[in-house]
Amino acid sequence: MGDSVITVVAIVLAAILMFAFPLMTMTDRTDDVSQLTVDTATTEFVDDVRTTGKLTMEKYGKFVENISSTGNTYDVEMELKVLDENPGKKTTQAQSTKIGENVYYSWYTSQILDAIQDKGTVLALKEGDIFSTSVKNTNNTMGQQLKNFFYSVSGNDTYTIAAEHAGIVTANGTGK
Amino acid sequence: MKIQNLAVIFVIIILPISLTLSSYTKSQNQTLHLQTAYDSKLDNATYDALKAFQLNTTNSSTSDIANSKLRDIEASVNTFFNSIASNFNMVGYNQSVLKTYVPALVYTMYDGFYIYSPYNNDLSSLTNEEKDKLKDPKATFHDGDRITGLKPYIHYSCRYKKNDIDVVITYSLDNYITVQGYIGSGMNKEYVVKSGYLLDNIEVNGGIVEYRNILIEGETLKQRFKPDEEEYVYVKVNGIKYYKKNDGWYSNLNGEEIKTDMEYKEQNEAAKQYYKEAKEFSDWVSSNLGDLTGNDAYDENGDSLNSRFGSDKIFDFNGGNNKSIEDPNSDFNQHRLEVIRYTIEKNLSIAIANYNNYSSSTTTNFQMPKLKEDEWTKIINNVSIISFLQGLSIGGKVYNGYSIITNTKNDEVVSDESIYLINNTEYYKPTDSTLDNLTSYIGVLNKDFERRTFTDDTGITKYFFPKNQLGSYSSIVNQFEDSDLENVQYNNNLYSYIDDKVTKRYINIAKAYYTALGRERYSMYKTNTNTDRKVESGKRVYEDEGLKAAYNQQNIKK
Repeated sequence: MGDSVITVVAIVLAAILMFAFPLMTMTDRTDDVSQLTVDTATTEFVDDVRTTGKLTMEKYGKFVENISSTGNTYDVEMELKVLDENPGKKTTQAQSTKIGENVYYSWYTSQILDAIQDKGTVLALKEGDIFSTSVKNTNNTMGQQLKNFFYSVSGNDTYTIAAEHAGIVTANGTGK
Repeated sequence: MKIQNLAVIFVIIILPISLTLSSYTKSQNQTLHLQTAYDSKLDNATYDALKAFQLNTTNSSTSDIANSKLRDIEASVNTFFNSIASNFNMVGYNQSVLKTYVPALVYTMYDGFYIYSPYNNDLSSLTNEEKDKLKDPKATFHDGDRITGLKPYIHYSCRYKKNDIDVVITYSLDNYITVQGYIGSGMNKEYVVKSGYLLDNIEVNGGIVEYRNILIEGETLKQRFKPDEEEYVYVKVNGIKYYKKNDGWYSNLNGEEIKTDMEYKEQNEAAKQYYKEAKEFSDWVSSNLGDLTGNDAYDENGDSLNSRFGSDKIFDFNGGNNKSIEDPNSDFNQHRLEVIRYTIEKNLSIAIANYNNYSSSTTTNFQMPKLKEDEWTKIINNVSIISFLQGLSIGGKVYNGYSIITNTKNDEVVSDESIYLINNTEYYKPTDSTLDNLTSYIGVLNKDFERRTFTDDTGITKYFFPKNQLGSYSSIVNQFEDSDLENVQYNNNLYSYIDDKVTKRYINIAKAYYTALGRERYSMYKTNTNTDRKVESGKRVYEDEGLKAAYNQQNIKK
């Protein structure tokens, strides 16, 4: 009787060790690689936009295609802070010892996507604007599922793959 | 063997493998992550450098003079290294350490470029006597020292030989060229130094000048030169603005007001003069150099470069398909960009390859990275900074990166996009679709909307804007209403956009734009403005016309 219990325990243990553990490590590595891909793609996308000053559907589409190639689904959030120098200029005109404040107002993902929706439309940014993008995975990756199975860390907001990058736009978008 | 034993053996085998694999992936991850992070940091540092150059040149009224420009560029180089030091978390390292990782910095300007890179301080051409004088142990630099600094200015030029023609043509970021060399044979052989703009579509009939069927007229311009003061009437001659007060004309030399004994006409005729002279020069080029093709290009050793630039005619005035020489896709512009690219590429790869000879502390083999086509397009169309950073260790490999940042707000060049149109309250891009056809707009250079500093007698720094107008919310602050020039109809050509506007009866836009473009280009500081000279019987004679051309707006009072 005692012997058979031990055998069952051993089989379960062996199954976990020989199947689940390697699988978990492998899926973890896959996540790492996905993380890397997403990281690189995000940085490249943002840097491309901010050094050329142009955002188009082609660029965005290519970026989304790149990160989707990892087999996960992602939530992409973009924010464009548009620099408005006019309030600062008004202050300076009223009182010449003060520089005055520059104001930024923001555009978010849906507004940006609306603006570039038509194929071929260029969203031109100008020097001084700030562009940022953040990416999170929305599905449960295999690695996450296995982890949840063994030690539950699930919640609504858990993600394992995330990347963000931001920077100041360095060129006027209408330039050649 | 019991199943438990098998499990233990399995764990013993798998665990180390998975651990190594995990740490390997992590380190690879980190390397790539670092690489992208470094790329961004380099971009930021280069942008800082460009911003420093932009700020210094906008706020200095002498920035277009060569030695002042050198000082501004050196300040910009310092900014670059400071920014690198703080961005890369290498605070405490001084420039000399960082320099070992930067094989070259390139500043592309209006008609040439500077390379900042190391060189040997070579005094071998001096006599021993002169050398002894310089052997002061306290001197900063000695014979044979390795110094990092700006190398001499390299022009975007190319030599052409054909029949009786042997000239060097220097190109620029717009359609301004300088021709130097011999034309003609035997008795008619003549040494020419001529410079000017190449334009089609100009009609000159007595005092009436038309460009693209738009009448170009004189104008009276006003702007502010000091904080808290009204706008004054001004003219701009060879890069310097002179403004009129009650008792005469003044210029502003870095904040100091200087009275001139010149008297200028209030009516600014620079635009008319620009088109008139462009026509004369274009006609001259057309009749003297019209036959030159890409096949006639030679390098500095006199070897033909025939396969490089194609066989099209370079100066294709009134080319086919309604193309004008000033159109971005004209043969002239294609050739010009190829020459600019060729000069930069050649000199830069030499500078970077030579870096290996100077670099002792790093073991990296420095190589010029291959730039992409669109990056070249950015470089050859704008004033830009190209920076290179190589040899930093980033885990698995050695970092080798570069960054290109371009800019249009400076004293260097008046590009097609540097002109904004103003009404009483706002300024717009000429491509703004909300502009109407009733207002008479005035074209203004984009730099005049940038903030200037001014230090008054009591030492208080004040700020002011030469032009009061605010940026419009349709094309400046954001670009909702900015017409897309990449549209097939316009083919990335601002001229065809404006032409299209003219057919829709928006003549006011075309007039303001062409007048301002001509005026600003004509009033820009140019080193060659006064060198219109020729050699007569072995003697150099300066022609009066050259001087007259530059100062034709003024009547000397005394």
